[in-house]
Amino acid sequence: MDLTGGFGARSGGGGGPYREPIGLESLHLGDEFRQLATTTLTPDNAGGSFTALLELPPTQAVELLHFTDSSSSSQAAAATTGIGGGDIIITPPPPPPPPLHSFGGTTLTFPSNSALMERAARFSVIATEQQQNNGNNNNETPTSSVPSNSSDRVKTEPPETDSTMENQSLCPNQTNRSGKRKDFDKKVKSSTKKNKISEETEKLPYVHVRARRGQATDSHSLAERARREKINARMKLLQELVPGCDKIQGTALVLDEIINHVQSLQRQVEMLSMRLAAVNPRIDFNLDTILASENGSLMDGSFSGTAMQLAWPHQAIETEQSFHHRQLQPPPPPQQWPFDGLNQPVWGREEDQAHGNDHSNLMAVSENVMVGSANLHPNQVKMEL
Amino acid sequence: MASADKTINTDVPEKDVFAIHFLQSLSNLRIQNLFNSPDTTNYRVRKIKKAAYVSMARAAGGTSRLWSRALLRRAAKGNNKIVRFPRRKRKVTWKISSKRRRSDQRAPVVEDAAERLRNLVPGGGGMETSKLMEETAHYIKCLSMQVKVMQCLVDGLSPK
Repeated sequence: MDLTGGFGARSGGGGGPYREPIGLESLHLGDEFRQLATTTLTPDNAGGSFTALLELPPTQAVELLHFTDSSSSSQAAAATTGIGGGDIIITPPPPPPPPLHSFGGTTLTFPSNSALMERAARFSVIATEQQQNNGNNNNETPTSSVPSNSSDRVKTEPPETDSTMENQSLCPNQTNRSGKRKDFDKKVKSSTKKNKISEETEKLPYVHVRARRGQATDSHSLAERARREKINARMKLLQELVPGCDKIQGTALVLDEIINHVQSLQRQVEMLSMRLAAVNPRIDFNLDTILASENGSLMDGSFSGTAMQLAWPHQAIETEQSFHHRQLQPPPPPQQWPFDGLNQPVWGREEDQAHGNDHSNLMAVSENVMVGSANLHPNQVKMEL
Repeated sequence: MASADKTINTDVPEKDVFAIHFLQSLSNLRIQNLFNSPDTTNYRVRKIKKAAYVSMARAAGGTSRLWSRALLRRAAKGNNKIVRFPRRKRKVTWKISSKRRRSDQRAPVVEDAAERLRNLVPGGGGMETSKLMEETAHYIKCLSMQVKVMQCLVDGLSPK
């Protein structure tokens, strides 16, 4: 259900039965309320909100009881505040708007749908941020909090809403709802549903965590839970990274395994550096001469013609096959040596080097490979260092 | 991988990027004339190891990762010729102590392991546990890439 076009109802009373529901969706109302709204907004039902409510099936009417209590009291308030009322209302009958605004003005405690939750997730940024802005002031006039929020927050609102005032009336809905959501959801879930849904939206600046059944809902424990979920997600990442960690049960052992893996990798680096140090002095190092001669030929971007292409892929393929399960990205085809794409941005970040042309120098070194070092096997990497 | 990876980005460049950086650092070492007259093998070993880590840090994304930044800074303390930092605009200071005290209460099992990880991963001292794990994942990937590169080198250079 996308939030297309706002309250089309304003354009003409009964114009299109689907315009109103769509507009009302942006109020996060469920199906029953869409019904309610259509019944109330059609000019025929000029009666008060109560008659409209009674038209609904009795089961839903029960849940609407809290609305009726507060709606009656705030109808007058809503009518007088005129929260962008002029735009949302169908111009003929003044009474129909108040029900909508009563939804906006009061604490919205309506039964949670799965559809609602999805929509809620979309607006969680708005909701939580507004919650932080407003605290839990459910009963004060929304207009005070709205102007600061509407301009920034309603990015998920349909851009073609006819006016910002609409949004202003919608924001407080979300605010009020979110303010009560965490507490209410717990009650609702314990009474109506038993599904345990918790959302972790890491990419949003605020994590919208849903209270599970039977769990505390104060902000501390919620933050704790969000944090724990974050940590668990990352631990799963690490588990997949370290070979052999999938089979281990229990976080303690997994963490031990991860630590062992890091230590072993560091030891490997040390071991290899010792071997390199032992190997190094044997090889001639002709970098200067090579630099002088090869500088010109290496300036072109594609290094496919270089000898390195012949040397490296052999080694590269051998080792890649053994470590293939660790590779996240597919190994680059041996014929291409995507230096320019990779290196320019990387080296752009670097500090100065002793060499001026890093790029060409290094290629000179690797080019050096094929400029015969008699000690090395032709199939292996030929390098002169 | 899991959907959580959509938000956690732990990509590392390909092997050739690491190779280039490492070779470069090695040639730097060479330029410094270390190998013509090595006083001790140990000294050389340490130099190469340091070059390996620095080149790995650079290859893995320079200063855009916490661990690489810490590594480069650690290396820069010793020898300012090799490593030079672009000056950061803001000096970021983290309040470690307040975070640490509270984190001890949270899942002590995880926090003990996090403590050990902090000692292992460079720059781990200032990170929260979740951030630390992200850095560890990236660090592991880079380390394994570096090991591969060095293995190739050693195999290529060692006598038949």
